[in-house]
Amino acid sequence: MNYQSENLKNSLAAEYVLGTLRGPARQRFQKLMMQHSAFSEATSTWEQHLNTLGQKLPPVTPDSSVWLRIEQQLGFTDAPVQNNQPIKTSEQTVSKVVPITKARSRVWQSIAGLASAAALVLAVLLVNLDTSVPDTKQLALVNNEQTQLLWALEISADTISVQATKSLVAQANADYELWIVAADGRAPISLGLLPKTGKLSLSKPAIFDQIEIAALAVSIEPLGGSPNGSPTTVLYTSKLVTLS
Amino acid sequence: MENEQHLALLGAIAQGDKKAFSELYQSTSQQLYAVSLKMLTRKELAEEALQEAYVRIWHNASEYRQGKGSVLTWMISIVRYRALDVLRYNKVRKESEFDESNNFDIETIEQVSDAEQLLLDKCLQQLDTQQRQAIYLAYFNGCSHKEVVKHLNNPLGTIKSWIRRGLMSLQSCLTS
Repeated sequence: MNYQSENLKNSLAAEYVLGTLRGPARQRFQKLMMQHSAFSEATSTWEQHLNTLGQKLPPVTPDSSVWLRIEQQLGFTDAPVQNNQPIKTSEQTVSKVVPITKARSRVWQSIAGLASAAALVLAVLLVNLDTSVPDTKQLALVNNEQTQLLWALEISADTISVQATKSLVAQANADYELWIVAADGRAPISLGLLPKTGKLSLSKPAIFDQIEIAALAVSIEPLGGSPNGSPTTVLYTSKLVTLS
Repeated sequence: MENEQHLALLGAIAQGDKKAFSELYQSTSQQLYAVSLKMLTRKELAEEALQEAYVRIWHNASEYRQGKGSVLTWMISIVRYRALDVLRYNKVRKESEFDESNNFDIETIEQVSDAEQLLLDKCLQQLDTQQRQAIYLAYFNGCSHKEVVKHLNNPLGTIKSWIRRGLMSLQSCLTS
């Protein structure tokens, strides 16, 4: 890399961290970081330089409801947070928040419906599946639109063992993330990233056995997983099958 | 000292320790919320960015690398990116909100003792006042180039050049 492009790389990284690099330029820079480690390293150096500035602001205590919502989103607690409880700012805020929550839960209900359509395919494939994990309690199979099996999931008491199949044509610059879609319409809960090849064991959160699961969903995400804790684009869903 | 405690907590969080996560939240959320609230000014948006930041911190705890700044600096990076995303999704800032956010007072900045911060302070003081103001508005208030233009009443090209040159001076000072 010559001197000029070295300067350009540093300028872009600095303004990316500062936040003044916006719009399509910001997206292009994010792609550059995925493709070239020199860009992500320059960014990380600037994060270290600039973000010590944030410690200069006098601390402000957030509302205690924020922690409750974090626990709920991560699936630490079973009880959904009441919408009308934490928000006390103004009438305007309340009326704004409620429809969004409702709209979300409708989306997840429709995805759950979609998953039941895939259940028939699952029943056929189940016959040939070799359950290699001895204490397997539940199974889920993730198929593409052509009903090719992409991932087989075996769920035991405390792990989710995932096997990727040869039918999976994984994108190099993306990751696939597994989610619980709860029957009660709450926000999806991440179970972690799926393997692109071979086998991977994911840890099973306690909430898995505590709530009614409408379906599991697979989303496509930037490398490293969902940037905001919610699925970016849902590609596939799958029903859980409990073994007798 | 503080960073060592944060490091130990982060290590436990990477192993799925919820109690450690709660402790880290107790110890750091006030600073992260201050950053988020300064940028977004609206309580509900600032809380949204804070929530998303901690969800990400839980999932990405194992990605923190020592020698890349303190744990708190790493966490502030995460909350700032979330806050910038929230700004992007809520594209149009009302003029009134924006004016309210124009209360950044350099005098209210806390004095710091950390070596990393002392160096940054020294380097920031070496910048031209205008360059420093423009960088502060972008950093603390989350201003775009155009928003900085409104605050500092100078043409866009001038503002862009102040920020770019300010950042480059900062880099040579910090790495010298």
